[in-house]
Amino acid sequence: MKDVVFGQYIPGNSLIHKLDPRAKLIFLVIYIVLIFCTFNFYALAIPFCLAILFMLLSKVPVKQYLKSMKMMIFVIIITSVFNLFYGGGKVYFTLGPLSVTEGGINNAIIIVSRIVCLLIVSAALTFTTSPTDLTDAIERLMKPLKVFHIKVHEIAMMMSIALRFVPTLLEETDKIMMAQKSRGANLDDGGLVKRAKALIPVFIPLFVSAFRRAFDLAMAMECRCYNGGKGRTRMKSLHLQKRDYFSTVFFVLIIAGVVLSDIFLPSVVR
Amino acid sequence: MSAVISTQNLTMTYGTNTPFEKSAVNNLNIEINEGEFLGIIGHTGSGKSTLVQMLNGLITPTSGKVLLRGKDINENKKELRKVRFQVGMVFQYPEYQLFEETVYKDISFGPINMGITGDELNKRVMDSARFTGLKKSLLQKSPFELSGGEKRRAAIAGVIAMDPDVLILDEPTAGLDPQGRDMLLNQISLYHKERKNTVILVSHSMEDIARVADRILVMCRGNAEILDSARNVFAQGEKLEKMGLRVPQITKITQKLKEKGIDLPDGILTVDGAFDSIVSLLKKEGKLR
Amino acid sequence: MSFISVENVSFHYDNNDPERLITENVIENLNMKVEKGEFLCVLGHNGSGKSTLAKMFNAMLIPTEGKVYVDGMDTSDESLCFKIRSNVGLVLQNPDNQLVASVVEEDIAFGPENLGVPPQEIRKRVDSALKAVDMYDYRKNAPYKLSGGQKQRIAIAGILAMEPRCIVLDEPTAMLDPRGRQEVMETITRLNKEHNITVVLITHYMDEAVLADRVIVMDRGKILTQGTPNEVFSQVDLLKEHSLDVPQATEICHRLKNIGVNIFELPLDEEGCVKALWEVLK
Repeated sequence: MKDVVFGQYIPGNSLIHKLDPRAKLIFLVIYIVLIFCTFNFYALAIPFCLAILFMLLSKVPVKQYLKSMKMMIFVIIITSVFNLFYGGGKVYFTLGPLSVTEGGINNAIIIVSRIVCLLIVSAALTFTTSPTDLTDAIERLMKPLKVFHIKVHEIAMMMSIALRFVPTLLEETDKIMMAQKSRGANLDDGGLVKRAKALIPVFIPLFVSAFRRAFDLAMAMECRCYNGGKGRTRMKSLHLQKRDYFSTVFFVLIIAGVVLSDIFLPSVVR
Repeated sequence: MSAVISTQNLTMTYGTNTPFEKSAVNNLNIEINEGEFLGIIGHTGSGKSTLVQMLNGLITPTSGKVLLRGKDINENKKELRKVRFQVGMVFQYPEYQLFEETVYKDISFGPINMGITGDELNKRVMDSARFTGLKKSLLQKSPFELSGGEKRRAAIAGVIAMDPDVLILDEPTAGLDPQGRDMLLNQISLYHKERKNTVILVSHSMEDIARVADRILVMCRGNAEILDSARNVFAQGEKLEKMGLRVPQITKITQKLKEKGIDLPDGILTVDGAFDSIVSLLKKEGKLR
Repeated sequence: MSFISVENVSFHYDNNDPERLITENVIENLNMKVEKGEFLCVLGHNGSGKSTLAKMFNAMLIPTEGKVYVDGMDTSDESLCFKIRSNVGLVLQNPDNQLVASVVEEDIAFGPENLGVPPQEIRKRVDSALKAVDMYDYRKNAPYKLSGGQKQRIAIAGILAMEPRCIVLDEPTAMLDPRGRQEVMETITRLNKEHNITVVLITHYMDEAVLADRVIVMDRGKILTQGTPNEVFSQVDLLKEHSLDVPQATEICHRLKNIGVNIFELPLDEEGCVKALWEVLK
């Protein structure tokens, strides 16, 4: 359970750590759009290199990235296998009604590369941005939505608290599972229904404990004069720095590169 | 005396081959006797929790063996559940594992998992409620309605109901007030006396351990530093303090008086003990009739 | 004038549970005061009403009857609520459940942020609060990786950053190991002695009460006895009767005194006890 690393902040002092979280968040959104708009290997190579660059610049050990990808390996394999059979062109070999084609292989490669890029870049974001910074950025970027009476501050606060309690609750789950195993609970064997049923002794205490924690936390927050977003100041005020402007220019060039190679080079995805 | 549990070069290392490699338990060879009351002390990070979790197979050691009546418990993974019925484990803050609609049902959870039904089940629930001092009227209540101390005792009853040969309690008195703590320790002693099963109590409260344990294992940095009778362990006050452990106040007082040349026995553990020896000394010297 | 004064206060919880129609008073006509700069300990076991009392000091609970005044402010006046809470900080038992943020320094900033303190001032307060609890080196860490004692010190720093004049701690050490307990107790005493912060410590550990200037023992919503630690713990029989602990040093001397051994003043600590017994035994 403790091996869950995806979405965990790893404190550091790298360039990526220092970038404005708002900039990082916008980059991520554009990046995602971008990789799903790539239709040939050249266009894909640019964001791929960019992902590797982010990974290296973040100064977070590559091992951490691999670990975070390990959890998604299943998804990657399934999608690539499905894509193998999808697409036209030269047929390499046939399996019953299914045939693996050149187009299929291209598709699979592109899809897998997209997912890998996506994973690397979003991991780079979560590794280098503290959850508070991240929710802070979301809060600030969503501020215009207040016009529509959306409670931006409250949503952001809930997100940051949820992130704060992920490790605590994971540890708790671990402990409760051990305690119930000691009482002979069989959590590992049996079919889906049986296993789901076996988890009741784990989930009920977990919920009870989560409610108790929520109650305590609400009290602690009130003790510290929390009263919603009104009149609240922040210790860290975000200011765009030189490096944020530079990276924006750099990013715009990348976008241009991808768009151009998409337009002028032959597409391989159908 | 025969050993109910023994360990052979038992070692547990976390994060092998990473920069965070940390050995929690280090090449441990101990024997736990049939029917004894063993106390394990050591501060947080000394490896005492890891050790007891290996004793009932919740954690698999990196190397070495845990022998239950001479049989390696990790030899056959399928038998591990049976091992857990024989070596019952009460975790820290066990009240957080309560989940059933009624206290009665919650206590039955363990025995039912063992396949026990009918009269035998009822007897076990009733017995364990008695051992933990739970009133009968509480058994039909929801466990979430009980007070903190009652919840704790209900959770312990849930493990006792499996009638394990060895009962392990990890910090059972943590967070209780003096009243709750005294009551719980008395109940555990009572259980030990009546059932004559092995009880292992993990604690960092020397006072608690001094009151109930026959023998004490002192853990420090994953090593078994001392394993001896309570009296002999507490006689080594200086060594214990070097390991960051606190000796009961009364033990320290009598020790200091002894150093000043007063003829008191070694390793006095309780106020009762100190009172008796001081009174008999005063009588001997004719200062008290 | 006393900093906090509790005047004829009774309290009972609203109880919607039909099985428990009788709403018993948790606090029963209580009168007490907290003086500026003192270290007061409220001792009692679970259900004595001591935690309820703690929550009335910072307007988390409002008395059913009677009044609580903090520096002259009536806690039942809702408009003063935040002013009172920033003056009387409350630290709770479970350190895990009172930390809001995923980074230590951001958590400590939470209080002053709520109070609308300007950013640079918050930065200053966070740093000095962290130094006051000796956790400055951990400012960038994630709270869940810290030990219990460290977490509790962060919780104290989070309150300190609001610059309160009084800190109320509701069983802050109940879930800690001996080392954590010691860390927290050292921090509390230092804040009281060096930073001149009024401290109210709610606890059931008598060895912590011994460190206070004044002790109030609560039982069933009432004050059982009060005075200096010496005055309180010399009443060994009364405390034992209510199943409260007495220091072993005090207990042994008390028992010897009872059978006629010549001991004048009951000691509270090891040293005093060794001295007293040496006088008798030499």
